[in-house]
Amino acid sequence: MPSTTADRIYLDHAASTSVRPEVMEAMVRTLAETPGNPSSPHREGRAARRVLEGARARVAAALGVDPSHVIFTRGGTESDNLAILGRARAEPRGAVVISALEHSAVREPALRLQAEGRPLVVLPFHPSGAPDLEALMAATEASPPPALLSVQAVNSETGLVLDVDAVLEQAATRGIPVHMDAVQALGRLPLSGTPALLTLSAHKVGGPRGFGVLVRDPAVALMPLQLGGSQERGLRPGTEDVAGAVGGALAVELAVAEQATETPRLEALRSWLEAALVEEVPELRVHGREGRRAPHILSVGLPGVPRDLLPGALDLEGVAASAGSACRSGASEPSPVLVALYGGEAAGVAPVRFSLGRTTTRSEVEAALPRILQVLQRVRTGFTPPHGPPTPA
Amino acid sequence: MPTSIPLQPSTPPRPASLPSAGVPQRRERVLVAMSGGVDSSVAAALLVEAGHEVVGVTMKTFCYDENQGPTRTCCGLDGILDAKQVAERLGIAHYVFDVEEEFTRDVIDDFVAEYAQGRTPNPCVRCNSTTKIRDLMMRGRALGCDAIATGHYVRIEHPPEGPPRLHRGADAEKDQAYFLWGLPRELLPQLRFPLGALTKSQVRDLARERGLVTAEKPESQEICFVPTGDYRGFLAKRLAPRHPALEPGPIVTLDGERVGEHRGYAGFTVGQRRGLGGGFSERLFVVEVRPETREVVVGPREALDAAGMVVEEVHWLGDLPGDPGSPEGVAVGVQIRHRAGSVPGRLFLDHERPRPTEAPGESEAPGESGAPGASGASAMDSNGPPSRVRIRFDTPQPAVTPGQSAVFFQKDQVLGGGRISAAGC
Repeated sequence: MPSTTADRIYLDHAASTSVRPEVMEAMVRTLAETPGNPSSPHREGRAARRVLEGARARVAAALGVDPSHVIFTRGGTESDNLAILGRARAEPRGAVVISALEHSAVREPALRLQAEGRPLVVLPFHPSGAPDLEALMAATEASPPPALLSVQAVNSETGLVLDVDAVLEQAATRGIPVHMDAVQALGRLPLSGTPALLTLSAHKVGGPRGFGVLVRDPAVALMPLQLGGSQERGLRPGTEDVAGAVGGALAVELAVAEQATETPRLEALRSWLEAALVEEVPELRVHGREGRRAPHILSVGLPGVPRDLLPGALDLEGVAASAGSACRSGASEPSPVLVALYGGEAAGVAPVRFSLGRTTTRSEVEAALPRILQVLQRVRTGFTPPHGPPTPA
Repeated sequence: MPTSIPLQPSTPPRPASLPSAGVPQRRERVLVAMSGGVDSSVAAALLVEAGHEVVGVTMKTFCYDENQGPTRTCCGLDGILDAKQVAERLGIAHYVFDVEEEFTRDVIDDFVAEYAQGRTPNPCVRCNSTTKIRDLMMRGRALGCDAIATGHYVRIEHPPEGPPRLHRGADAEKDQAYFLWGLPRELLPQLRFPLGALTKSQVRDLARERGLVTAEKPESQEICFVPTGDYRGFLAKRLAPRHPALEPGPIVTLDGERVGEHRGYAGFTVGQRRGLGGGFSERLFVVEVRPETREVVVGPREALDAAGMVVEEVHWLGDLPGDPGSPEGVAVGVQIRHRAGSVPGRLFLDHERPRPTEAPGESEAPGESGAPGASGASAMDSNGPPSRVRIRFDTPQPAVTPGQSAVFFQKDQVLGGGRISAAGC
């Protein structure tokens, strides 16, 4: 996916971003040179195993964890599902607790568990990113204690940074395992705390789509969701994607290494765009600004227009953005995340999320501004500006 | 609120020299409503081939989870997927817009309320008058579109002078003018109907030639939000428990003799024979539904004939070729049901408010309208064209059904239309 071509400006890096050239190269080389199955005992199998475990060691080193804690999955959604459903199956007692701001990859499995009779507690968070302490206390002090508490590091729709430390601290007092979905934090913020379970995804940082990581403290029992092999310590059976692991590991390594320089760079671009938009369209709401935000996400809401309009209108003017999390684009109901943060008024606001990435440049953001403003003005007034002369297709 | 955004009338009318097939020459950004059926697929294809920048849109009108029935017809979730596939094939953008709130308010609530009042609604007319065109136009403007297109079989004609006119489609079998009388008049310059000059079989051929997945898709027969055709079940879910429209009531003759019992008057439409039970000495038809007494009135075939009718909520798309206030009225063609064609009649201002229980053929009598939902509007909007008219058919017409649309034509031009409020003249 070319990030930006002559007439396209790609500002949806939080949905997915282009694979880094060095990642692609490493993957192609691995595909060409590693024919074996890592589970095979012969030389080719052993060679594949070596490459796979090398990738695991690099991910572990980048994250500062033990390699035996790194489980490779086929993506962030799978890691989240394994954490929530796998934990609930391994520990039949206690509620499942999730934050009200979770991605659907956490919320949906939790709701499924609830439908199956499992108690579910949805923890409110303030727009500042702080948990509702009373609710947190009540949930953690319940008896039996919750089987799992899941909280996002960075909210994918707004960029809001959640106060994970407060949750970790409180959970630790009762020995409750915490799962943290850090998909949008990787490469954007230092990963803090030591949750028992941690979800990462490679394709948000220039790795291949279809490669995820679940970092897991072996003291926390999990049941696998797939059956049929002993790969990934039995937690993710199936022949491993060796090339994906190589590419994913490289992307994770690079993201962690570049985080300290990327964060201020993206932050500056985001702030510039935000200020320019708010100046021209004062009624624009900026989501997440009441708290700390990840540097790459700018989520705004235009009041009084249909919720589903902005991404399409921007697309037609050459700007790729999303209505929120890409996984629910086109969905009709207001975003549960925005409703959880801002209450009912979120329902009357058309959201759009711009997200920046490694390839985003100042000139790109500057070029996007007039296009975005044109769309916002047009949508806001319902007025159609006349088109220029016909352009060749 | 979405609806608060004003509709900006229009680009200026195009010169008369342009072809009137609905596909103008200038390159425009055109929003096409793609239901996932063959008609709108071909409409989109023709606009692409005419060189326009085409944007496909599927309106999600209804919560499909609610319907366990088949979704093969155009409004189901399959429709969205088919529309996406066709858009992909044509290389155009495609978006899904959710208009469930508007559709429920403007179409479904009205559908339920009309049946509850013993009338027989035209939800497709409501949809075209409200959701489909108005909401599309609003979204089209937001997307920077110059025009809105649909796969309806109607034509827009651009006379040398004056505003564009709506005409019947060339295919008499498929003509959909009956469903479009409620179009906002000021939007006509921005509407494109690329299929207006084509027949259905031509459209299918065009779809096949282009390899569109929708080419062989069957026609949608039922109302899209009741794909099973079970209106009664649908109403039961939306009306209050034990609503009178679904409670048993008497079947009576025109003389008031009780001849049977029905399971709820919401199941009955004027002209209907089914559901009355047998054992009558003659063939009986529903001639009237009386919600206030829950009576379904039956009579012989002749009793169905009405010399005329009162039409309310009248909406005009063209100018009347005469003075409806004159003693002789205005000669128009009148269509009172889909596929029926029009019959000659005369259109008059309605000075009186009709009684809802007026028997067919009875001469007009003054009195308060007790019809629930009757607009009560005066016959004239202040100096505007009449919003309530009376029609006298040249020859009496059977089964004039309150709630259904009456559409007025001059030759094949749609002058306007409205809802039938009562039979009689």
